[in-house]
Amino acid sequence: MPTTTFSEHIPDLDLITWYAENNKSVFAFMSPWTKFAILTLLVVLVTVLHSIILLISIYVAVICIYLIAGLPAKKLILWYTLPILFVFSLIGILVWGEPGFPLISLKIFGLTAILTDKGVLIAISLLIKALTMVTFSLFILMTTRYSYLATVIERIFPAPLDQIFLLSYRFLFLTISMTAAMLKAVCSRGGGVIYSIRMQGKIFAEVFALVFIRSFDRAERVHKAMIARGYKGHFSMNNEVPAPSQYGMISIVIFSIIVIAILIASQLKWGLNIL
Amino acid sequence: MAHIHLEDGSFTLFWVIVWWLCALVLIGSALFLLRIKKTKDVKKITMAAFVTAASFAIFQVQIPIFGGVHLNLTPLIGILAGPVFGTLIVFIVNIMSAAIGHGGWGLIGANVLVNFSEVIVAYLSYRGLKKVTSSLFFRAGIATFVGLICGNIVMIAIILISGIQGITQSTLQILTGLSLLAAVNMGVAVIEAFITGLIVAYIGKVRPDILEGTVS
Repeated sequence: MPTTTFSEHIPDLDLITWYAENNKSVFAFMSPWTKFAILTLLVVLVTVLHSIILLISIYVAVICIYLIAGLPAKKLILWYTLPILFVFSLIGILVWGEPGFPLISLKIFGLTAILTDKGVLIAISLLIKALTMVTFSLFILMTTRYSYLATVIERIFPAPLDQIFLLSYRFLFLTISMTAAMLKAVCSRGGGVIYSIRMQGKIFAEVFALVFIRSFDRAERVHKAMIARGYKGHFSMNNEVPAPSQYGMISIVIFSIIVIAILIASQLKWGLNIL
Repeated sequence: MAHIHLEDGSFTLFWVIVWWLCALVLIGSALFLLRIKKTKDVKKITMAAFVTAASFAIFQVQIPIFGGVHLNLTPLIGILAGPVFGTLIVFIVNIMSAAIGHGGWGLIGANVLVNFSEVIVAYLSYRGLKKVTSSLFFRAGIATFVGLICGNIVMIAIILISGIQGITQSTLQILTGLSLLAAVNMGVAVIEAFITGLIVAYIGKVRPDILEGTVS
């Protein structure tokens, strides 16, 4: 299993791609269009839903799908670090002072900050929403082959956006391995040791600058090689992406009806206590 | 992180759509500008793709300062690629980030607007400072810091306009909370400005042609 990881809490693209190319679960044979349609509906659903119980149910369902697909659970927990950090860095400050039953009271610089039950519920709700989307996004990435993803990108985005996207996706693995090699070289020469912020900053800045410089060098070489092979600004994909199956279509229709019903109910304030 | 990646569920559906539409107008304008200039220059597209890949790869590296900092280098994208290609690059980087859970799919629109402000302000500041100082380190460092300040202001403005779902505090209370967040972000922005300054100075020493508008 190939891995190129700089830190345990950032999703490893090599590992993700390995799963995408080697996954043999039922989801690997599902049409990417079905997966992206469900992703879009899921975004709408987590945006309009407020009920903690319903959100937890959706999250559990997504986790089950992730595990049934045979994807790594331990890695997923590590990869949750940054989304959790993003949620709490924003919400962690704003939930203080929400009306409700007080749970914690802190005095900071003469000001009293109160954390209430409603504040905690808001934080939990947003956290579950974020984790649901992270899990489903990684599930899509780890069960969809590169050729399918590339064809979907080419069909969705206009030129030259699709070209930049497709090329950058290909270059990404090259750049990541190049960055990893340079960091390894720095560490093997004692560069990983913190001397001072200035020294540490300088070392990393030089590594990053070299990544850009070598990227440009490679871009020039790749550009010349592509021109020599007849590239004229259009990187076309010849793969056929399977259309949604009958079951896929039924799932999309049912899920769409549920999302539209919840959307209408939330707009008309029906069943407010449930939604 | 010098700005926050907003996660799905933070805004109401109405504001998700509004910010997506604003971002699509920006991206559409960038594509329109490229088409009227008839910029189907294959080399520029290849370079832009490499800048995208490099900035995304660098984002994956944790710098062991203050317990670990990740840099987005969006101002550097502006300096190297310019505002037109920069807009397309930040859009792609945001999609890639959303795919690995760093920012929501629904919030890509808002995140693109935040990043775009960083790209354009850093680009203009970097160009404008040419008359003031010839030091690449100071030009890039100042441009990055100013760009990140603007990114933070745009982020705060977007959050104040949209509101966070479930939060019932007054605008002033939210502003107070966000100011605290912005202060922390500015601490990281100083590190990012310092590192970007060093990166640009190093590129200027080794490959000055890259800074002379290879992509832009």
